[in-house]
Amino acid sequence: MARSMRITENMSVMEKLEVLTDAAKYDVACTSSGTDRANDGSGIGNCVKAGLCHSFAADGRCISLLKILFTNECIFDCKYCVNRRSNDVLRASFTPDEVCELTMEFYRRNYIEGLFLSSGVIQSPDYTMELIYAALYKLRNERRFQGYIHVKAIPGASLELVQRVGFLADRMSVNLEFATADGLKRLAPHKTRKNILAPMRMVQNAAAENRYEVQSYRNAPRFVPAGQSTQMIIGAVPESDYQILHVAESLYKQFGLKRVFYSAFIHLNEDRELPARTGEGPPLLREHRLYQADWLLRYYHFEAREILSEEDPNFNVLFDPKCNWALRHLDVFPVEVNRAGYEMLLRVPGLGYRSAQRIVRARRLGKLDFTDLKKMGVVLKRAMYFLTCNGKMMYPTKLDEDYIARNLLNTGEKLPEGADGMTYRQMSLFDDVRFGGGISEKNLCV
Amino acid sequence: MKRIYVCNDEVTGLLSALYDAWRTVVVDGMPECGIRFRGCIEQEFFCEYTEVEESEKKAGAVERLILKNLGWYAYKLIYQAALSTDPLKGDAILGTMLEARRIADSRRIMDHLGNAQVEKVFELSRNVGDEVHRWLQFLRFGELENGIMFARFEPKNRVLTCVAPHFADRFCLENWMIYDETYQEYVVHEAGKQWVLVSGGELNEELAGAFSDRERAFRELWHKFTESIAIEDRKNPGCQMGHLPLWYRKNMVEFMPM
Repeated sequence: MARSMRITENMSVMEKLEVLTDAAKYDVACTSSGTDRANDGSGIGNCVKAGLCHSFAADGRCISLLKILFTNECIFDCKYCVNRRSNDVLRASFTPDEVCELTMEFYRRNYIEGLFLSSGVIQSPDYTMELIYAALYKLRNERRFQGYIHVKAIPGASLELVQRVGFLADRMSVNLEFATADGLKRLAPHKTRKNILAPMRMVQNAAAENRYEVQSYRNAPRFVPAGQSTQMIIGAVPESDYQILHVAESLYKQFGLKRVFYSAFIHLNEDRELPARTGEGPPLLREHRLYQADWLLRYYHFEAREILSEEDPNFNVLFDPKCNWALRHLDVFPVEVNRAGYEMLLRVPGLGYRSAQRIVRARRLGKLDFTDLKKMGVVLKRAMYFLTCNGKMMYPTKLDEDYIARNLLNTGEKLPEGADGMTYRQMSLFDDVRFGGGISEKNLCV
Repeated sequence: MKRIYVCNDEVTGLLSALYDAWRTVVVDGMPECGIRFRGCIEQEFFCEYTEVEESEKKAGAVERLILKNLGWYAYKLIYQAALSTDPLKGDAILGTMLEARRIADSRRIMDHLGNAQVEKVFELSRNVGDEVHRWLQFLRFGELENGIMFARFEPKNRVLTCVAPHFADRFCLENWMIYDETYQEYVVHEAGKQWVLVSGGELNEELAGAFSDRERAFRELWHKFTESIAIEDRKNPGCQMGHLPLWYRKNMVEFMPM
């Protein structure tokens, strides 16, 4: 164990909570969705399919689950991680009882939707996984907790242990960390691609098997009913957006993942393997674009190669991926609202999948015009360049790329604050295109 | 002359008014009818105003009519719209029910968003549904000295009856109570039993403010948690405000001074 590790005996629960929350906060997944479960009358809690966010932190991220590490005493030395063994930070560990007590008491006050339990690797992956199992077992069986549990599988733990934990959790995740194996090797020397993908595959297979069991025997125990997710760090190694999106797509298709999360790299450690500190903050715009593209993959029937390509591997700074696609495929527009297929409607900028569904249902009962669309939640200031209602466009418009692009820019895109990459700061010569933070002068004068 | 029925702004009142209005239009063949609420009537010309005799019997008949002909989904949306604060919600619901008679499959009525009244019911129910969803997230219980879990909130729409079933399932073995400050109503739930709605009656502020010692400890822990979970580099109050507007925060532990 590293020489600089500080372990304090007899810490209060308050101190432990502070340390272990602080250590867990860089994990982005905090959703409580994916499973519907009513209370069986023997304990506390239920699950809501859509998930509930119980609060929002000062960074605007939702607080849905009690997100903590079981321990931050870690034997791994991942370069980007605040808990790596070579860092001199305060170390702490919960006991299973403390985890149960906090979860139960927060839950009955409606502070949280459940527990998100991750952990640093204490002693060995198996030992850590056993501790996690002990905590969850107590929570589920002794405290009769029926709320949501999201648990991390520790890379390198035996698959049998991972499977046992899976029967107690609603969602499980193994962090992929980087899109390329090379990135992982450089920044997380104790993790291997194999150790990450093996539990992922195991969870996928076990869940498929379990679905069959549950169909045959109604009371069979459920194995991760809300599926599995993963997360990738964005901007710590030179990977293109295309590479990341491509990996995400194959995770959805080949590993049956429910969600892939993207976490803009935040500078916590000084290390020669990490990108230099630029003072620009985390690459939030890039993260935002990845989430937009991710939604296109999951809900809008897009494929990664339609959004980006080897030749054009990074996102457009100015347009979201859907707009960008539409501008490059003006030949298929305008689309007639009263006739176009659902999949085509999905591709119209300004039209979400919910409004597309509403349109498809409503037009069976009568013709729709632009005022109806507006009431249904279509963002007309974006959609009007791409739609006709009963053969007419909303205003006379040219179907010309430059013209539409200019007008769309005027309407402006609602970006999360700080994620628009356009700040008052002076542009520097060293804006690194690889990390997507900068914006070239050419783009500014469209 | 257009006849306008006047009732109390409560579900039973509104359903009774719908009963009378429905009879007037469908049975008596009058072309137009309206519904207004006592206390917020803007007098119009060429209208006659009739007080509604409210009864559970009338309300039940309308509920059955909707459930039988329009289906469960439309019933849910209409019920939610009935809880909204909009003064013209009665007209929209009546219009929706009448429109359902004109289309081939009445159960599809809520898809018919091209119709202005249907669209309005949809809009109102979405507004109420959103508020319900937010309160499921942001309602906070505190443990009183007598062990009861107590929550209070100030909703805009009358959402208490939509919020209660969620907690009745979730905390089925707890004694809990929710107080709606806007409409002065309570939902009381005794462990293992059904929840009940209680209207009227003053809140005993002294009892409702007497929290247990454990309560204080867990409030502090929660405070600490919400503080340390935020990432300084990503600080974004605008985003926080968008998801969690200030008016929801009044009774939320993490936004109270400690």
